Amino acid sequence: MSDEEHHFESKADAGASKTYPQQAGTIRKNGYIVIKNRPCKVVEVSTSKTGKHGHAKCHFVGIDIFTGKKLEDIVPSSHNCDVPHVNRTDYQLIDISEDGFVSLLTENGNTKDDLRLPTDDNLLSQIKDGFAEGKDLVVSVMSAMGEEQICALKDIGPK
Amino acid sequence: MQGYSNGGGGGEGGPADLAKLQSIMQSIEIACSSIQMHVNPAAAEATILALCQSPQPYKACQFILALDVSSIAPYDCGAFQVIAFILFLSNLAENSQVTNARFQAAAAIRDAAMREWAFLTADDRRGLISFCLCFVMQHACSPEGYVQAKVSSVAAQLIKRGWLDLSASEKEAFFNQVNQAIYCNHGVDVQFIGINFLESLVHVSEFSPTTSSAMGLPREFHEQCRMSLELDYLKTFYCWARDAAISVTKVIIESDAAVSEVKVCTAALRLLLQILNWDFRYNTSGTKMSINVFSAGVRQDSASAKRTECILVQPGPAWRDVLISSGHVEWVLNLYAALREKFSCKGYWLDCPIAVSARKLIVQFCSLTGTIFSSDNGQMQEYHLLQLLSGILPWVDPPDVVAKAIESGKSESEMLDGCRALLSIATVTTPFIFDQLLKSISVDHLFVITLLLQVFAMMFRPFGTLTLLSTLMCEVIKNLMLNSSEEGTWSWDARDILLDTWTTLLVSIDSKEGNALLPSEVLNATASLFALIVECELKVASMSAMDDDFNYVQASISAMDERLSSYALIARAAIDATVPLLMRLFTERFARLHQGRGMIDPTETLEELYSLLLITGHVLADEGEGETPLVPNAIQTCFLDTLEADKHPVVILSGSIIKFAEQCLDPEMRLSVFSPRLMEAIVWFLARWSQTYLMPFEEIRDGYSNFGHDYEHQLQSLHSRKALLSFFGEHNQGKLVLDIIVRVAITTLVSYPGEKDLQELTCNQLLHALVQGKNICLHLVALDSWRELANAFANGKTLFLLNSTNQRSLAQTLVLSAYGMRNAEASNQYVRDLTNHIMTYLVELSNKNNLKNVAQQPDVILSVSCLLERLRGAANATEPRTQKALYELGFSVMNPILLLLEVYKHESAVVYLLLKFIVDWVDGQISYLEAQETAVVVDFCMRLLQLYASHNIGKVLMTLSSSLLNEAKTEKYKDLRALLQLLSSLCSKDLVDFSSDSIEAQGTNISQVVFFGLHIVTPLISLDLLKYPKLCHDYFALLSHMLEVYPETVAQLNTEALAHVLGTLDFGLHHQDSEVVDMCLRALKALASFHYKEMSASKVGLGPLAAGLKDSNGNPQEGILSQFLRSLLQLLLFEDYSPDLVSTAADALFPLILCEQGLYQRLGNELIERQVNPTLRSRLTNALQSLTNSNQLSSTLDRVNYQRFRKNLNNFLIEVRGFLRTM
Repeated sequence: MSDEEHHFESKADAGASKTYPQQAGTIRKNGYIVIKNRPCKVVEVSTSKTGKHGHAKCHFVGIDIFTGKKLEDIVPSSHNCDVPHVNRTDYQLIDISEDGFVSLLTENGNTKDDLRLPTDDNLLSQIKDGFAEGKDLVVSVMSAMGEEQICALKDIGPK
Repeated sequence: MQGYSNGGGGGEGGPADLAKLQSIMQSIEIACSSIQMHVNPAAAEATILALCQSPQPYKACQFILALDVSSIAPYDCGAFQVIAFILFLSNLAENSQVTNARFQAAAAIRDAAMREWAFLTADDRRGLISFCLCFVMQHACSPEGYVQAKVSSVAAQLIKRGWLDLSASEKEAFFNQVNQAIYCNHGVDVQFIGINFLESLVHVSEFSPTTSSAMGLPREFHEQCRMSLELDYLKTFYCWARDAAISVTKVIIESDAAVSEVKVCTAALRLLLQILNWDFRYNTSGTKMSINVFSAGVRQDSASAKRTECILVQPGPAWRDVLISSGHVEWVLNLYAALREKFSCKGYWLDCPIAVSARKLIVQFCSLTGTIFSSDNGQMQEYHLLQLLSGILPWVDPPDVVAKAIESGKSESEMLDGCRALLSIATVTTPFIFDQLLKSISVDHLFVITLLLQVFAMMFRPFGTLTLLSTLMCEVIKNLMLNSSEEGTWSWDARDILLDTWTTLLVSIDSKEGNALLPSEVLNATASLFALIVECELKVASMSAMDDDFNYVQASISAMDERLSSYALIARAAIDATVPLLMRLFTERFARLHQGRGMIDPTETLEELYSLLLITGHVLADEGEGETPLVPNAIQTCFLDTLEADKHPVVILSGSIIKFAEQCLDPEMRLSVFSPRLMEAIVWFLARWSQTYLMPFEEIRDGYSNFGHDYEHQLQSLHSRKALLSFFGEHNQGKLVLDIIVRVAITTLVSYPGEKDLQELTCNQLLHALVQGKNICLHLVALDSWRELANAFANGKTLFLLNSTNQRSLAQTLVLSAYGMRNAEASNQYVRDLTNHIMTYLVELSNKNNLKNVAQQPDVILSVSCLLERLRGAANATEPRTQKALYELGFSVMNPILLLLEVYKHESAVVYLLLKFIVDWVDGQISYLEAQETAVVVDFCMRLLQLYASHNIGKVLMTLSSSLLNEAKTEKYKDLRALLQLLSSLCSKDLVDFSSDSIEAQGTNISQVVFFGLHIVTPLISLDLLKYPKLCHDYFALLSHMLEVYPETVAQLNTEALAHVLGTLDFGLHHQDSEVVDMCLRALKALASFHYKEMSASKVGLGPLAAGLKDSNGNPQEGILSQFLRSLLQLLLFEDYSPDLVSTAADALFPLILCEQGLYQRLGNELIERQVNPTLRSRLTNALQSLTNSNQLSSTLDRVNYQRFRKNLNNFLIEVRGFLRTM
């Protein structure tokens, strides 16, 4: 099996569209799906039928991976859905600037300074407090469909 | 919390005390009212609790006592104080205007008495019980029923608490009091109360261990009470209740309107019923059985789980005089018959309590069985049943009239009770006797039953009970057809009860004798009943075909399954009529589909076919449940005159269904006819059918015959069976049919995209069933169609669209079919060919330079997930024959797996699949691995664990969504559970090992490995995660296993790892789940006894761990055994736990005490010193003394000593827990 065809198609149609078609029936819980043009993590899948002798439909409940909002969709299970390309990269946290941006160290030694801190106080304090305590922090940055956000934090300092 | 213990001081208190006591009463009253009105309920509860818990509050009551000496006199109190308190409470109970306060006072009496029972002198105890009894009797007329009921139940509990101490004459005295109430002319209310008291003794079942209230006593106590009551008193109570009922019967029968005696009679009937409901254990078989305290006694009927409960009543021969030979049954029947005539009168109706109780009692009589009947060939029982049946007949006969009456508004309860009675009778008799019963009534009892209507009905009744049963059921089914849309009508209930009756009757016929014994009249009746049933089901099907909103609940499916198997039994009873009927119904519908194609909407016909397929599947074949089901007896012994296989009705029916199924291979037909739902039924049918009929393992078993002595008959039956069995055998049509089945399966997998349910049925049931048959495997691997499937799996792309669990199942099935290859070499090669694509893809992917980027593309994730599922499926199929190929497969993906674990560390769904594959693979492989291979696998597992841990320790998820956080927690829980399973699998290498040399050869020490693994995993398991019951269970199971089997390794753990292990052990000790506590206690026992034994042998044992270490600041710390001794004593004395744990706790406590004798002495002294009350103090001292010294306990850890200590601890806890806990 090869993925060459897929690559070709998806490159051809939108360049940066960053989504892939996948049959609804194969999308499982904890996978990703695009609902109402938002990248979501699937938290619930159930199937039903259109009438007793009709075909199966999938009912998806997804959580927007950036905003945390709940979204739902119903798709015939033999049809294709869009699945977002969710990329996650780890960076070492070098600095937190006053204007709400972070400074990150990339793998090849450059810095990445265009990422905003989360606005939620709770999340913000998790990063700030950890950094203030002088911990060695690695942040995971999640990107999908042209958006970016810090999604996880890990203390890699010596035990 | 407010206490009441120091109320009055001495007896000289004066008015101040009166005020104090009144204020106590007031505060209780206020608390009760405020609870009722939901005003500050917490505070109110605390006040009431304080009353219940206050230790020895007697002094507080002395003053009140002095005021009211006259009221003590009747109770003959010895110990002034105790009764004083009780009287205070009783004063409260009697004087308080607030009913709830009385209720609470009664509860407080109960609590105080239970707690301090051991203090009370025999006279006090008697006085208490007597007080409660008198209270109830004196207040018999009071309108507050619930206070009466409470006090009455308190009396029952007190009697039980003292049951083993009270002498027979003392008990006699109490019961005489009750008896007098029941008999003498104190009025109806008193009679009623007396009966109620007995009921709370028997029914609320103070004496039945399952329903008794907790008293903090060992289970044995409850068992002894139960035995004593059953053997010595139950029958007497029964007689009292019966006599009470008889004494009022006349009044009831003669009056035309409701009289107050009805209340007494109803209560008495209810008590009779409750007594018959008693789970008789002793003296039932005539010989004295040994008492097994811990097994709940096996019930006789284990035939099937039934919808309707039917409890057998087996009181044993001692009850014969009361129940059978005294005309008791006749009296009840007559009473009900008299009531029936009154239903038109005011105050009586079909569902009035007395009628309901009488009917229930009659139904209960029907299930009377066992040694109560003398061994006279069942004549006595037959007569008994005959009597009952003639009384019950008017409830259900004639069926059509009864059904009409119900439809026009009559209550259905009498009819339903009639059905229940039939079920009971069916349960206690054989089908033959069951059938004969009615016939004998027609002859003997024609004159007994004198109602005109019945005589009329009987003139047309030369038939047996079975025929009545079919006509009754037919009426029910007809009604069901009219009301099919609504659930929960009377005909639903009636159908379920009657179906159970049929099942009870027919199961025995089906499994043993065959249908030969049934008279032809019965066969005709069952045949027409089945026809009606099918008609009804089809009608329901076609009506519901268009329903849009249907969603199956698992429960309703299994209920339907049960119903269908009952139908199948009925169908098999008249199999030679029902198979042709089914054939005709199928043919009609096939024809209808073909004629109407493209013109008529086939939906209704499809739904009818769906139903027919399910029914036919049940009729033709049994559920295998993991075994190979045989052709049902009824089918084997029928159709004897058919010698040519292709004319055998079952062959024709099966053939036509298979031929129909084959048509789904045609795309056009598939589109127009074969809906996913129809395919589900087809696949289900094929799976069930092929397990029984397709290439049966022994196509013909010679010499098997249980019936028919004449040779001709036997030969003929042999021929006809052979014809049926060999037709689909491997040398006949078998291969052809197998090919069709495989093609149908491929079609469902390929041509029904996204139909998960259908594909799941195909993978899990149909294909799975096929590869279970070893002889089928031989043919499978030779079939082109199977090769096509294997090829599509290994090289095609379409099967990647299957749902992930189906991927796994399909891979498992295909690997299992390798068994069909000639030899092990070929089988292994077959597996390699099947799985090669997985290895190639994963290795290539992991070698890519830009793996990190590529891997996160959705299509790659999909492929990887699919392949991991397939790997897991293949690993699940590990068998000795294919183990080698599967080991190689796993070995070759080890590195890719670790790389993928790294790149997918944020992709929890993939990580879980990776872990699950490894878990299943190790589980399948570990016992076969040679030393060197084991070393490789163990090393790999440790790297996996470390990698997983390094990704997850200290990781914090940053998200706003609480549901995503919860999901993440659940995922983590599942991962950890998988890792624990992995460690458990590794553990098993020490227990089950098929390899040729010892693994120690390669320097692998399993216990060290697993402890190391635990050391990696435990930091990930937070106490929060241990709230998941399964994870908690797994964790403690593994931990206690490790500590039990390898206590010596504990000594070698480093401090940090040890601290964690011990921390969780302490957590587990205080867990709610008693199984977890049990495991922790076993671990403790292992640790302590290991240390003690080692020390006795002058070895180090746990060494510094037990002796105590210095913590990081240099302060000396207690040794671990000391800590646990403290913690365990704390638990045993002051906390809540299940009484079942006491034995295990004793086993842990004993070696702990032996190890830490000094500390134990200290703790004991502390306990004693804390006790201010001198009586209690001496009691505690004595109890502690006898805990370690009585019963010839010595200081060796052997079985006998453990047992002695268990007994000692039990006594100790009974003695002291009551007062220690109230402090």
